[in-house]
Amino acid sequence: MPAVLEYENVNKEYSVPFTRRKVRALRDFSLVVQPGEIFGFLGPNGAGKSTAIHLAMGFMRPSSGRGRMLGQVFGNARTRKRVGFLAENVSLFHRPADSLVRFYGALNGMSGKHLATRALEVLNEVGLGAEAKRNVKGFSRGMLQRVGLAQAIVNDPELLILDEPTSALDPRARVIVRELLIDFRNRGRTIFLSSHLLSEVELVCDRVAVLNQGKLVRLGTTSSLLESNHETEIIARGIPPETFNDSTVSAGLVHVHVPVGEQRAAIERVWQAGGEVVSLNPVRKSLEELFLELTNTPENGSSSETVA
Amino acid sequence: MRNVGLIAVSFVREQRWPIFVLLLWVVGLCVIGLTVDVRRSREDVLIIFKQLVVYGVAFAIFFGGSAIHNDRRSRRILAVLSKAVGRKQYLCGLLTGIALALFLYCFCMGFTGSWVLGQSGFSIPLLWYLMICFMAACLLSAAVAVLFSTFLSPLFATLASGLFLGIPALITLQFGGKWAYAVPVYPLLGPLLNASFHQQLRLEWPLLFLAALEMVGLWLIASWIFRRRDIAVSVE
Repeated sequence: MPAVLEYENVNKEYSVPFTRRKVRALRDFSLVVQPGEIFGFLGPNGAGKSTAIHLAMGFMRPSSGRGRMLGQVFGNARTRKRVGFLAENVSLFHRPADSLVRFYGALNGMSGKHLATRALEVLNEVGLGAEAKRNVKGFSRGMLQRVGLAQAIVNDPELLILDEPTSALDPRARVIVRELLIDFRNRGRTIFLSSHLLSEVELVCDRVAVLNQGKLVRLGTTSSLLESNHETEIIARGIPPETFNDSTVSAGLVHVHVPVGEQRAAIERVWQAGGEVVSLNPVRKSLEELFLELTNTPENGSSSETVA
Repeated sequence: MRNVGLIAVSFVREQRWPIFVLLLWVVGLCVIGLTVDVRRSREDVLIIFKQLVVYGVAFAIFFGGSAIHNDRRSRRILAVLSKAVGRKQYLCGLLTGIALALFLYCFCMGFTGSWVLGQSGFSIPLLWYLMICFMAACLLSAAVAVLFSTFLSPLFATLASGLFLGIPALITLQFGGKWAYAVPVYPLLGPLLNASFHQQLRLEWPLLFLAALEMVGLWLIASWIFRRRDIAVSVE
Protein backbone atom coordinates (compact mmCIF):
# COMPACT_ATOMS: atom_id res chain seq x y z
CA MET A 1 0.00 0.00 0.00
CA PRO A 2 1.47 3.42 -0.90
CA ALA A 3 2.56 5.68 1.95
CA VAL A 4 0.17 8.40 3.05
CA LEU A 5 2.89 10.82 3.98
CA GLU A 6 6.49 10.60 2.91
CA TYR A 7 9.49 12.86 3.56
CA GLU A 8 12.68 12.16 1.67
CA ASN A 9 15.89 13.81 2.91
CA VAL A 10 14.08 17.05 3.55
CA ASN A 11 16.08 20.07 4.72
CA LYS A 12 14.60 23.39 5.66
CA GLU A 13 16.55 26.55 6.39
CA TYR A 14 15.22 29.98 7.26
CA SER A 15 17.13 33.17 6.68
CA VAL A 16 17.19 35.55 9.63
CA PRO A 17 16.15 38.97 8.27
CA PHE A 18 18.90 41.61 8.02
CA THR A 19 21.64 39.11 8.93
CA ARG A 20 23.57 36.46 7.08
CA ARG A 21 22.53 33.85 9.59
CA LYS A 22 20.33 30.90 8.76
CA VAL A 23 18.26 28.73 11.05
CA ARG A 24 18.20 25.07 10.11
CA ALA A 25 14.81 23.73 11.15
CA LEU A 26 15.01 20.28 9.53
CA ARG A 27 18.08 18.25 8.66
CA ASP A 28 17.96 15.28 6.29
CA PHE A 29 14.54 14.42 7.55
CA SER A 30 13.06 11.21 6.17
CA LEU A 31 9.86 9.59 7.36
CA VAL A 32 7.10 7.39 6.02
CA VAL A 33 3.60 7.30 7.48
CA GLN A 34 1.55 4.25 6.50
CA PRO A 35 -2.21 4.21 5.88
CA GLY A 36 -4.49 3.40 8.80
CA GLU A 37 -2.18 4.32 11.64
CA ILE A 38 -2.14 6.97 14.31
CA PHE A 39 1.35 8.37 14.09
CA GLY A 40 2.72 10.36 17.02
CA PHE A 41 5.18 13.11 16.22
CA LEU A 42 7.13 14.25 19.24
CA GLY A 43 9.87 16.70 20.01
CA PRO A 44 10.71 19.63 22.26
CA ASN A 45 9.76 23.19 21.33
CA GLY A 46 11.62 24.30 18.22
CA ALA A 47 12.50 20.74 17.21
CA GLY A 48 10.97 21.28 13.75
CA LYS A 49 7.66 19.45 14.17
CA SER A 50 5.48 22.32 12.93
CA THR A 51 7.94 23.01 10.11
CA ALA A 52 7.62 19.40 8.94
CA ILE A 53 3.82 19.67 9.06
CA HIS A 54 3.77 23.02 7.26
CA LEU A 55 5.97 21.59 4.52
CA ALA A 56 3.51 18.76 4.00
CA MET A 57 0.61 21.20 3.83
CA GLY A 58 2.45 23.35 1.29
CA PHE A 59 2.70 26.40 3.55
CA MET A 60 6.47 26.25 3.04
CA ARG A 61 8.84 24.86 0.47
CA PRO A 62 11.73 22.60 1.45
CA SER A 63 15.25 23.99 0.97
CA SER A 64 16.19 20.59 -0.43
CA GLY A 65 14.72 17.10 -0.55
CA ARG A 66 11.17 16.27 -1.39
CA GLY A 67 8.00 14.79 -0.01
CA ARG A 68 4.67 13.36 -1.03
CA MET A 69 1.27 13.47 0.58
CA LEU A 70 -1.36 10.96 -0.60
CA GLY A 71 0.84 10.22 -3.59
CA GLN A 72 1.21 13.84 -4.72
CA VAL A 73 4.10 16.24 -4.26
CA PHE A 74 3.72 18.56 -1.22
CA GLY A 75 1.69 21.69 -1.90
CA ASN A 76 -0.85 20.23 -4.31
CA ALA A 77 -4.16 22.02 -3.67
CA ARG A 78 -6.32 19.19 -5.00
CA THR A 79 -4.72 16.68 -2.64
CA ARG A 80 -5.65 18.87 0.32
CA LYS A 81 -9.29 18.13 -0.48
CA ARG A 82 -8.63 14.68 1.04
CA VAL A 83 -6.73 16.03 4.05
CA GLY A 84 -7.84 17.60 7.33
CA PHE A 85 -5.56 19.98 9.20
CA LEU A 86 -5.67 21.62 12.58
CA ALA A 87 -2.96 24.19 13.29
CA GLU A 88 -1.36 24.88 16.64
CA ASN A 89 -2.90 28.01 18.25
CA VAL A 90 -5.96 27.74 16.05
CA SER A 91 -7.26 31.02 14.67
CA LEU A 92 -10.63 31.18 12.96
CA PHE A 93 -12.93 33.79 11.47
CA HIS A 94 -15.43 35.28 13.91
CA ARG A 95 -18.77 33.82 12.91
CA PRO A 96 -21.23 31.21 14.23
CA ALA A 97 -19.64 27.78 14.65
CA ASP A 98 -21.88 26.00 12.13
CA SER A 99 -21.44 28.74 9.54
CA LEU A 100 -17.68 28.59 10.06
CA VAL A 101 -17.50 24.82 9.61
CA ARG A 102 -19.70 25.13 6.49
CA PHE A 103 -17.33 27.79 5.11
CA TYR A 104 -14.30 25.52 5.46
CA GLY A 105 -16.24 22.56 4.09
CA ALA A 106 -17.27 24.63 1.08
CA LEU A 107 -13.61 25.49 0.42
CA ASN A 108 -13.10 21.75 0.08
CA GLY A 109 -15.80 21.50 -2.55
CA MET A 110 -18.68 20.40 -0.32
CA SER A 111 -22.08 22.01 -0.76
CA GLY A 112 -25.80 21.99 -0.11
CA LYS A 113 -27.73 19.91 2.37
CA HIS A 114 -24.94 17.38 2.72
CA LEU A 115 -22.56 20.11 3.95
CA ALA A 116 -25.13 21.57 6.37
CA THR A 117 -25.86 18.12 7.85
CA ARG A 118 -22.19 17.19 8.02
CA ALA A 119 -21.28 20.49 9.75
CA LEU A 120 -23.78 19.82 12.54
CA GLU A 121 -22.67 16.20 12.72
CA VAL A 122 -19.00 17.08 13.29
CA LEU A 123 -19.89 19.78 15.79
CA ASN A 124 -21.82 17.13 17.71
CA GLU A 125 -18.86 14.76 17.46
CA VAL A 126 -16.57 17.29 19.14
CA GLY A 127 -19.21 18.04 21.79
CA LEU A 128 -20.26 21.46 20.50
CA GLY A 129 -23.66 20.60 19.02
CA ALA A 130 -25.42 22.86 21.51
CA GLU A 131 -23.13 25.79 20.66
CA ALA A 132 -23.52 25.52 16.86
CA LYS A 133 -25.28 28.87 16.50
CA ARG A 134 -22.92 30.79 18.81
CA ASN A 135 -20.24 33.05 17.38
CA VAL A 136 -16.81 31.53 17.98
CA LYS A 137 -15.61 35.00 19.06
CA GLY A 138 -16.94 34.20 22.53
CA PHE A 139 -15.47 30.70 22.71
CA SER A 140 -12.79 29.60 25.15
CA ARG A 141 -9.46 28.30 23.80
CA GLY A 142 -10.55 24.72 24.34
CA MET A 143 -13.81 25.29 22.48
CA LEU A 144 -11.94 26.97 19.63
CA GLN A 145 -9.66 23.98 19.42
CA ARG A 146 -12.71 21.73 19.13
CA VAL A 147 -14.25 23.91 16.39
CA GLY A 148 -10.84 23.75 14.70
CA LEU A 149 -11.01 19.98 14.88
CA ALA A 150 -14.56 20.03 13.50
CA GLN A 151 -13.49 22.07 10.45
CA ALA A 152 -10.59 19.65 9.96
CA ILE A 153 -12.81 16.57 9.81
CA VAL A 154 -15.83 18.05 8.04
CA ASN A 155 -14.64 16.60 4.69
CA ASP A 156 -14.09 13.13 6.23
CA PRO A 157 -10.41 13.24 5.28
CA GLU A 158 -8.19 10.27 4.45
CA LEU A 159 -5.35 11.90 6.33
CA LEU A 160 -5.81 14.06 9.41
CA ILE A 161 -2.85 16.22 10.44
CA LEU A 162 -3.12 17.62 13.93
CA ASP A 163 -0.65 20.03 15.49
CA GLU A 164 -1.19 20.05 19.27
CA PRO A 165 -4.94 19.28 19.11
CA THR A 166 -5.53 18.68 22.81
CA SER A 167 -3.26 21.24 24.46
CA ALA A 168 -6.10 23.49 25.66
CA LEU A 169 -8.72 20.84 26.34
CA ASP A 170 -10.14 19.84 29.71
CA PRO A 171 -9.99 16.12 30.63
CA ARG A 172 -13.56 15.43 29.43
CA ALA A 173 -12.96 17.07 26.05
CA ARG A 174 -9.65 15.24 25.79
CA VAL A 175 -11.46 11.91 26.17
CA ILE A 176 -13.96 12.95 23.46
CA VAL A 177 -11.13 13.82 21.08
CA ARG A 178 -9.21 10.65 21.90
CA GLU A 179 -12.27 8.50 21.15
CA LEU A 180 -12.83 10.42 17.95
CA LEU A 181 -9.26 9.76 16.82
CA ILE A 182 -9.49 6.05 17.61
CA ASP A 183 -12.82 5.82 15.76
CA PHE A 184 -11.20 7.62 12.84
CA ARG A 185 -8.34 5.12 12.74
CA ASN A 186 -10.79 2.21 13.01
CA ARG A 187 -12.45 3.47 9.84
CA GLY A 188 -9.12 3.09 8.02
CA ARG A 189 -8.11 6.74 8.15
CA THR A 190 -4.62 7.95 9.00
CA ILE A 191 -3.77 10.46 11.71
CA PHE A 192 -0.51 12.36 12.00
CA LEU A 193 -0.49 13.76 15.51
CA SER A 194 2.03 16.22 16.86
CA SER A 195 1.68 16.66 20.60
CA HIS A 196 3.45 17.48 23.82
CA LEU A 197 0.93 15.48 25.83
CA LEU A 198 2.94 12.29 26.00
CA SER A 199 0.33 10.36 27.97
CA GLU A 200 -2.16 11.00 25.15
CA VAL A 201 0.32 9.88 22.53
CA GLU A 202 1.14 6.77 24.52
CA LEU A 203 -2.56 5.92 24.70
CA VAL A 204 -3.54 6.33 21.07
CA CYS A 205 -0.51 6.16 18.79
CA ASP A 206 0.55 3.04 16.90
CA ARG A 207 3.92 4.46 15.96
CA VAL A 208 5.98 7.33 17.27
CA ALA A 209 8.78 9.47 15.87
CA VAL A 210 10.90 11.73 18.05
CA LEU A 211 12.47 14.79 16.50
CA ASN A 212 15.24 16.79 18.14
CA GLN A 213 16.94 19.85 16.65
CA GLY A 214 15.54 19.07 13.23
CA LYS A 215 16.76 15.48 13.23
CA LEU A 216 14.79 12.30 13.58
CA VAL A 217 16.25 10.62 16.67
CA ARG A 218 13.90 7.67 17.17
CA LEU A 219 11.17 5.94 15.19
CA GLY A 220 9.22 2.81 16.02
CA THR A 221 6.01 1.30 17.30
CA THR A 222 4.94 2.76 20.62
CA SER A 223 5.20 -0.59 22.40
CA SER A 224 8.67 -1.39 21.06
CA LEU A 225 10.00 2.04 21.98
CA LEU A 226 8.72 1.78 25.51
CA GLU A 227 10.15 -1.67 26.07
CA SER A 228 13.57 -1.70 27.64
CA ASN A 229 16.09 -3.99 25.99
CA HIS A 230 18.14 -4.02 29.13
CA GLU A 231 15.96 -5.04 32.06
CA THR A 232 13.34 -7.57 33.03
CA GLU A 233 10.99 -7.47 35.98
CA ILE A 234 10.59 -10.73 37.87
CA ILE A 235 7.66 -11.15 40.24
CA ALA A 236 8.01 -14.06 42.62
CA ARG A 237 6.31 -15.44 45.71
CA GLY A 238 7.44 -17.63 48.56
CA ILE A 239 10.90 -16.13 48.89
CA PRO A 240 12.33 -13.70 51.46
CA PRO A 241 12.92 -10.19 50.03
CA GLU A 242 16.58 -10.39 51.02
CA THR A 243 17.11 -12.99 48.26
CA PHE A 244 17.75 -10.05 45.94
CA ASN A 245 19.25 -6.64 46.57
CA ASP A 246 16.92 -3.73 45.62
CA SER A 247 13.80 -5.89 45.61
CA THR A 248 10.43 -4.48 46.63
CA VAL A 249 7.47 -6.21 48.21
CA SER A 250 3.92 -5.55 47.18
CA ALA A 251 0.85 -7.58 48.18
CA GLY A 252 3.10 -10.40 49.37
CA LEU A 253 4.93 -10.60 46.07
CA VAL A 254 8.59 -9.81 45.61
CA HIS A 255 9.40 -7.55 42.62
CA VAL A 256 12.89 -7.38 41.30
CA HIS A 257 14.49 -5.80 38.22
CA VAL A 258 17.41 -7.72 36.73
CA PRO A 259 19.51 -7.18 33.60
CA VAL A 260 18.30 -9.31 30.68
CA GLY A 261 21.58 -11.27 30.69
CA GLU A 262 21.07 -12.30 34.33
CA GLN A 263 17.43 -13.27 33.95
CA ARG A 264 18.04 -17.04 33.89
CA ALA A 265 20.29 -16.97 36.95
CA ALA A 266 17.74 -14.87 38.84
CA ILE A 267 14.92 -17.33 38.11
CA GLU A 268 17.10 -20.20 39.32
CA ARG A 269 17.77 -18.27 42.53
CA VAL A 270 14.03 -17.97 43.10
CA TRP A 271 13.57 -21.70 42.64
CA GLN A 272 16.59 -22.51 44.83
CA ALA A 273 15.09 -20.35 47.58
CA GLY A 274 11.92 -22.49 47.35
CA GLY A 275 9.90 -19.79 45.65
CA GLU A 276 7.82 -19.60 42.52
CA VAL A 277 8.03 -17.17 39.59
CA VAL A 278 4.65 -15.50 39.09
CA SER A 279 5.54 -13.40 36.06
CA LEU A 280 8.40 -12.21 33.94
CA ASN A 281 7.99 -8.93 32.06
CA PRO A 282 10.25 -6.68 30.06
CA VAL A 283 10.55 -3.38 31.92
CA ARG A 284 8.53 -0.64 30.18
CA LYS A 285 9.58 2.96 30.28
CA SER A 286 7.06 5.72 30.15
CA LEU A 287 7.04 7.79 26.97
CA GLU A 288 8.01 10.75 29.11
CA GLU A 289 11.18 8.98 30.26
CA LEU A 290 12.03 8.03 26.69
CA PHE A 291 11.34 11.56 25.48
CA LEU A 292 13.59 13.11 28.11
CA GLU A 293 16.31 10.59 27.36
CA LEU A 294 16.22 11.29 23.62
CA THR A 295 15.96 15.04 23.81
CA ASN A 296 18.31 15.65 26.70
CA THR A 297 21.03 17.49 24.78
CA PRO A 298 22.97 20.53 25.99
CA GLU A 299 21.53 22.78 23.26
CA ASN A 300 18.02 21.73 24.04
CA GLY A 301 15.49 24.45 24.57
CA SER A 302 17.42 26.78 22.30
CA SER A 303 15.32 25.55 19.39
CA SER A 304 16.65 24.76 15.93
CA GLU A 305 20.28 24.87 14.95
CA THR A 306 21.66 28.19 13.78
CA VAL A 307 24.29 28.22 11.09
CA ALA A 308 26.45 31.09 9.94
CA MET B 1 -14.36 29.83 -9.08
CA ARG B 2 -16.47 28.94 -6.06
CA ASN B 3 -13.48 29.19 -3.73
CA VAL B 4 -12.64 32.60 -5.18
CA GLY B 5 -16.18 33.77 -4.39
CA LEU B 6 -16.05 32.33 -0.86
CA ILE B 7 -12.74 34.05 -0.09
CA ALA B 8 -13.99 37.31 -1.62
CA VAL B 9 -17.19 37.34 0.42
CA SER B 10 -15.22 36.40 3.52
CA PHE B 11 -12.87 39.35 2.88
CA VAL B 12 -15.79 41.78 2.58
CA ARG B 13 -17.30 40.34 5.73
CA GLU B 14 -14.06 40.79 7.65
CA GLN B 15 -13.65 44.36 6.37
CA ARG B 16 -17.31 45.28 6.83
CA TRP B 17 -16.65 48.05 9.37
CA PRO B 18 -14.08 50.03 7.33
CA ILE B 19 -16.35 49.62 4.29
CA PHE B 20 -19.38 50.74 6.27
CA VAL B 21 -17.53 53.84 7.56
CA LEU B 22 -16.45 54.70 3.99
CA LEU B 23 -20.00 54.41 2.70
CA LEU B 24 -21.36 56.36 5.65
CA TRP B 25 -18.84 59.13 4.90
CA VAL B 26 -20.02 59.37 1.28
CA VAL B 27 -23.71 59.31 2.24
CA GLY B 28 -23.10 61.87 5.02
CA LEU B 29 -21.42 64.27 2.61
CA CYS B 30 -24.31 63.73 0.17
CA VAL B 31 -26.82 64.69 2.87
CA ILE B 32 -24.79 67.80 3.70
CA GLY B 33 -24.57 68.58 -0.03
CA LEU B 34 -28.33 68.41 -0.34
CA THR B 35 -28.87 70.78 2.58
CA VAL B 36 -26.90 73.59 0.92
CA ASP B 37 -27.82 75.49 -2.21
CA VAL B 38 -26.18 73.09 -4.66
CA ARG B 39 -26.45 75.41 -7.67
CA ARG B 40 -24.62 78.26 -5.92
CA SER B 41 -21.85 76.13 -4.38
CA ARG B 42 -21.61 73.52 -7.11
CA GLU B 43 -17.84 73.99 -7.59
CA ASP B 44 -17.30 73.23 -3.88
CA VAL B 45 -19.42 70.09 -4.16
CA LEU B 46 -17.35 68.96 -7.15
CA ILE B 47 -14.09 69.51 -5.23
CA ILE B 48 -15.40 67.38 -2.34
CA PHE B 49 -16.40 64.73 -4.86
CA LYS B 50 -12.85 64.75 -6.28
CA GLN B 51 -11.46 64.37 -2.76
CA LEU B 52 -13.55 61.25 -2.30
CA VAL B 53 -11.96 59.86 -5.46
CA VAL B 54 -8.48 60.28 -3.97
CA TYR B 55 -9.64 58.58 -0.75
CA GLY B 56 -10.95 55.69 -2.81
CA VAL B 57 -7.57 55.10 -4.46
CA ALA B 58 -5.81 55.40 -1.10
CA PHE B 59 -8.15 52.83 0.46
CA ALA B 60 -7.67 50.50 -2.50
CA ILE B 61 -3.91 50.59 -1.85
CA PHE B 62 -4.37 50.09 1.89
CA PHE B 63 -6.77 47.17 1.38
CA GLY B 64 -4.45 45.57 -1.17
CA GLY B 65 -1.28 46.17 0.83
CA SER B 66 -2.57 44.70 4.07
CA ALA B 67 -4.90 41.87 2.99
CA ILE B 68 -2.31 39.07 2.98
CA HIS B 69 -0.50 40.39 6.04
CA ASN B 70 -3.72 40.51 8.10
CA ASP B 71 -4.51 36.89 7.29
CA ARG B 72 -0.94 35.82 8.05
CA ARG B 73 -0.70 37.75 11.30
CA SER B 74 -3.99 36.32 12.55
CA ARG B 75 -2.88 32.87 11.26
CA ARG B 76 -6.30 32.47 9.62
CA ILE B 77 -4.53 31.96 6.32
CA LEU B 78 -3.42 28.51 7.54
CA ALA B 79 -6.97 27.21 7.87
CA VAL B 80 -7.91 28.61 4.45
CA LEU B 81 -4.84 27.34 2.58
CA SER B 82 -5.09 23.94 4.27
CA LYS B 83 -8.18 23.39 2.11
CA ALA B 84 -8.30 22.78 -1.63
CA VAL B 85 -7.31 26.37 -2.30
CA GLY B 86 -4.29 27.20 -4.45
CA ARG B 87 -2.22 30.33 -3.90
CA LYS B 88 -3.41 31.77 -7.23
CA GLN B 89 -7.03 31.19 -6.22
CA TYR B 90 -6.40 32.75 -2.83
CA LEU B 91 -4.99 35.95 -4.34
CA CYS B 92 -7.79 36.04 -6.90
CA GLY B 93 -10.25 35.75 -3.99
CA LEU B 94 -8.62 38.64 -2.14
CA LEU B 95 -8.61 40.80 -5.29
CA THR B 96 -12.26 39.96 -5.96
CA GLY B 97 -13.08 40.85 -2.34
CA ILE B 98 -11.31 44.19 -2.71
CA ALA B 99 -13.16 44.69 -6.01
CA LEU B 100 -16.49 44.05 -4.25
CA ALA B 101 -15.64 46.56 -1.52
CA LEU B 102 -14.55 49.13 -4.09
CA PHE B 103 -17.63 48.46 -6.21
CA LEU B 104 -19.80 49.35 -3.21
CA TYR B 105 -17.82 52.55 -2.71
CA CYS B 106 -17.89 53.52 -6.40
CA PHE B 107 -21.58 52.70 -6.72
CA CYS B 108 -22.36 54.75 -3.63
CA MET B 109 -20.33 57.65 -5.02
CA GLY B 110 -21.99 57.35 -8.44
CA PHE B 111 -25.44 57.18 -6.87
CA THR B 112 -24.98 60.10 -4.48
CA GLY B 113 -22.97 62.03 -7.10
CA SER B 114 -25.68 61.74 -9.74
CA TRP B 115 -28.16 62.95 -7.13
CA VAL B 116 -26.19 65.95 -5.81
CA LEU B 117 -24.09 66.87 -8.88
CA GLY B 118 -26.97 66.01 -11.22
CA GLN B 119 -29.05 68.73 -9.56
CA SER B 120 -26.36 71.28 -10.37
CA GLY B 121 -26.09 70.36 -14.04
CA PHE B 122 -23.34 67.75 -14.19
CA SER B 123 -23.82 65.24 -17.01
CA ILE B 124 -25.09 61.98 -15.46
CA PRO B 125 -23.82 59.65 -18.28
CA LEU B 126 -20.39 61.33 -17.95
CA LEU B 127 -20.48 60.80 -14.20
CA TRP B 128 -21.15 57.06 -14.53
CA TYR B 129 -18.46 56.69 -17.18
CA LEU B 130 -16.02 58.46 -14.82
CA MET B 131 -17.09 56.07 -12.06
CA ILE B 132 -16.17 53.12 -14.27
CA CYS B 133 -12.74 54.72 -14.87
CA PHE B 134 -12.45 55.34 -11.12
CA MET B 135 -13.28 51.72 -10.34
CA ALA B 136 -10.69 50.52 -12.87
CA ALA B 137 -8.05 52.86 -11.39
CA CYS B 138 -8.82 51.63 -7.85
CA LEU B 139 -8.62 47.98 -8.90
CA LEU B 140 -5.34 48.52 -10.70
CA SER B 141 -3.93 50.29 -7.64
CA ALA B 142 -5.11 47.42 -5.42
CA ALA B 143 -3.53 44.85 -7.76
CA VAL B 144 -0.20 46.71 -7.59
CA ALA B 145 -0.43 46.82 -3.77
CA VAL B 146 -1.26 43.10 -3.59
CA LEU B 147 1.73 42.35 -5.79
CA PHE B 148 4.08 44.27 -3.50
CA SER B 149 2.47 42.80 -0.38
CA THR B 150 3.44 39.28 -1.47
CA PHE B 151 7.03 40.07 -0.48
CA LEU B 152 6.88 43.32 1.54
CA SER B 153 5.28 44.37 4.82
CA PRO B 154 2.09 46.48 4.48
CA LEU B 155 3.95 49.74 5.15
CA PHE B 156 6.61 49.10 2.51
CA ALA B 157 4.04 47.61 0.11
CA THR B 158 1.97 50.81 0.40
CA LEU B 159 5.02 53.02 -0.10
CA ALA B 160 6.25 50.94 -3.03
CA SER B 161 2.78 51.03 -4.63
CA GLY B 162 2.62 54.79 -4.22
CA LEU B 163 6.00 55.19 -5.89
CA PHE B 164 5.23 52.66 -8.63
CA LEU B 165 1.98 54.42 -9.51
CA GLY B 166 3.14 57.95 -8.87
CA ILE B 167 6.54 58.14 -10.58
CA PRO B 168 5.33 57.53 -14.19
CA ALA B 169 2.54 60.07 -13.62
CA LEU B 170 5.01 62.63 -12.25
CA ILE B 171 7.38 62.10 -15.19
CA THR B 172 4.50 62.67 -17.61
CA LEU B 173 3.35 65.78 -15.78
CA GLN B 174 6.88 67.17 -15.69
CA PHE B 175 8.30 66.15 -19.04
CA GLY B 176 5.30 65.03 -21.04
CA GLY B 177 5.24 61.76 -23.00
CA LYS B 178 3.26 58.60 -22.47
CA TRP B 179 4.99 57.28 -19.33
CA ALA B 180 1.78 57.50 -17.30
CA TYR B 181 0.22 54.88 -19.59
CA ALA B 182 2.68 52.26 -18.28
CA VAL B 183 0.34 51.78 -15.31
CA PRO B 184 -2.66 53.86 -16.38
CA VAL B 185 -4.03 54.89 -12.97
CA TYR B 186 -3.35 58.57 -13.54
CA PRO B 187 -4.76 58.62 -17.11
CA LEU B 188 -7.90 56.91 -15.79
CA LEU B 189 -8.31 59.34 -12.91
CA GLY B 190 -7.27 62.43 -14.90
CA PRO B 191 -10.68 63.16 -16.50
CA LEU B 192 -12.33 62.78 -13.09
CA LEU B 193 -9.82 64.93 -11.20
CA ASN B 194 -10.06 67.62 -13.90
CA ALA B 195 -13.81 67.26 -14.34
CA SER B 196 -15.92 70.40 -14.84
CA PHE B 197 -19.55 71.20 -15.47
CA HIS B 198 -18.79 71.96 -19.11
CA GLN B 199 -16.93 68.70 -19.84
CA GLN B 200 -18.05 66.57 -22.77
CA LEU B 201 -18.29 62.78 -22.56
CA ARG B 202 -15.31 61.21 -24.34
CA LEU B 203 -15.11 57.45 -23.99
CA GLU B 204 -11.66 55.83 -23.79
CA TRP B 205 -12.37 52.13 -23.85
CA PRO B 206 -8.79 51.14 -24.86
CA LEU B 207 -7.55 52.61 -21.59
CA LEU B 208 -10.02 50.50 -19.63
CA PHE B 209 -9.01 47.45 -21.63
CA LEU B 210 -5.32 48.14 -20.92
CA ALA B 211 -6.10 48.48 -17.20
CA ALA B 212 -7.97 45.16 -17.20
CA LEU B 213 -5.11 43.47 -19.01
CA GLU B 214 -2.55 44.85 -16.56
CA MET B 215 -4.68 43.72 -13.60
CA VAL B 216 -4.61 40.14 -14.87
CA GLY B 217 -0.86 40.42 -15.49
CA LEU B 218 -0.22 41.78 -11.99
CA TRP B 219 -2.33 39.01 -10.46
CA LEU B 220 -0.35 36.36 -12.36
CA ILE B 221 3.00 37.84 -11.30
CA ALA B 222 1.78 38.18 -7.69
CA SER B 223 0.64 34.53 -7.74
CA TRP B 224 3.99 33.39 -9.13
CA ILE B 225 5.84 35.19 -6.32
CA PHE B 226 3.36 34.19 -3.61
CA ARG B 227 3.60 30.52 -4.57
CA ARG B 228 7.30 30.67 -3.70
CA ARG B 229 6.79 32.35 -0.33
CA ASP B 230 6.70 30.58 3.03
CA ILE B 231 3.51 31.70 4.67
CA ALA B 232 3.74 29.95 8.00
CA VAL B 233 6.74 31.81 9.41
CA SER B 234 6.33 34.63 11.88
CA VAL B 235 5.37 37.86 10.19
CA GLU B 236 6.34 40.07 13.14
